[in-house]
Amino acid sequence: MKIKTLEEILKKKSSKTEFAILTNLENGDSEIYLPGTSPKGEFSKYAVEIENFFKSKKNGVIENSEIFVETYIKPIKVIIVGAVHIAQYLVDFAKSLNFEISIIDPRGYFASEQRFPDIKVINKWPKEAFEEIDTNSSTALIALTHDPKIDDPALQYALKNKFYYIGALGSKKTHENRCQRLAEAGFTNDEINSIHGPIGIKLGGKSASEIALSIIAQLVSETYKK
Amino acid sequence: MKNSFDEKILDEAKDWIKANQKVVLATVIQTWGSSPRQVGSRMIVNEKGEFSGSVSGGCVESAVVSECLSLIKDNKPCKKIEFKVSNESAWEVGLACGGEIAVYIEQIH
Repeated sequence: MKIKTLEEILKKKSSKTEFAILTNLENGDSEIYLPGTSPKGEFSKYAVEIENFFKSKKNGVIENSEIFVETYIKPIKVIIVGAVHIAQYLVDFAKSLNFEISIIDPRGYFASEQRFPDIKVINKWPKEAFEEIDTNSSTALIALTHDPKIDDPALQYALKNKFYYIGALGSKKTHENRCQRLAEAGFTNDEINSIHGPIGIKLGGKSASEIALSIIAQLVSETYKK
Repeated sequence: MKNSFDEKILDEAKDWIKANQKVVLATVIQTWGSSPRQVGSRMIVNEKGEFSGSVSGGCVESAVVSECLSLIKDNKPCKKIEFKVSNESAWEVGLACGGEIAVYIEQIH
């Protein structure tokens, strides 16, 4: 690999642009490839295969060739509602995983930048906050306030926009009441049952960090099922 | 779940080069069966045999380091190395986990 290529890779990495490194394993030539463009020179005949690596979010050697493709795919967007103590631990765990966290909390004293350095914190009610975030079916929602005023509008938004993971904190009783409210708001049983509530896998822990661990474990597991 | 954007190994490679070291980049390019590190995992090696990062769970790193040193010594651009299941009765390098991996090493020049 040329130093120039390495420098370009580092630039793309820091600006979080999606790209791939194409390497000819026979002669060591490497190129940077941007999705949606045509691969250059010797790599041009593998355009379809290279795009397939992006689609499947995988790295590997193209079949019957000596071309290695390494993709850099944007992290999965995770929206947390409630800038609470558990959210601080979730932010820590997410750093070593492929998740990019945004936090919504209309309560200013919770959603301070000091409590969440380097994280996008939106100090607004969910309805307005979602106008500032691009979401799709590859987005996840973690609702942590267990306050219907704040959680419910976010859960409704996530259900309507078919987020792949929706979880809500709260006891069984709290969750039953939540399900009832969502049913009254016109959501189907299938939609309501898709919410992970009470949130997280069964770890047995009670502390904020243990609850965060159980939530992030469930999120990782659901991400692999996607 | 690999977060390639936040991985620091290539940044470290750049730092080593800035410090006038010769750097070889080793990348896992293929795996078969159970293997500890996924495709795209990396380590870097300098001419003194110092390394950072990993391509397995400690099974083949020492062999990769010596291959990287030969690459520098022979001034070759790149090489593909395959590691298979280790034979427990022999003192050879291999993967005790029963998997196979291919590692590609290349000089950064």
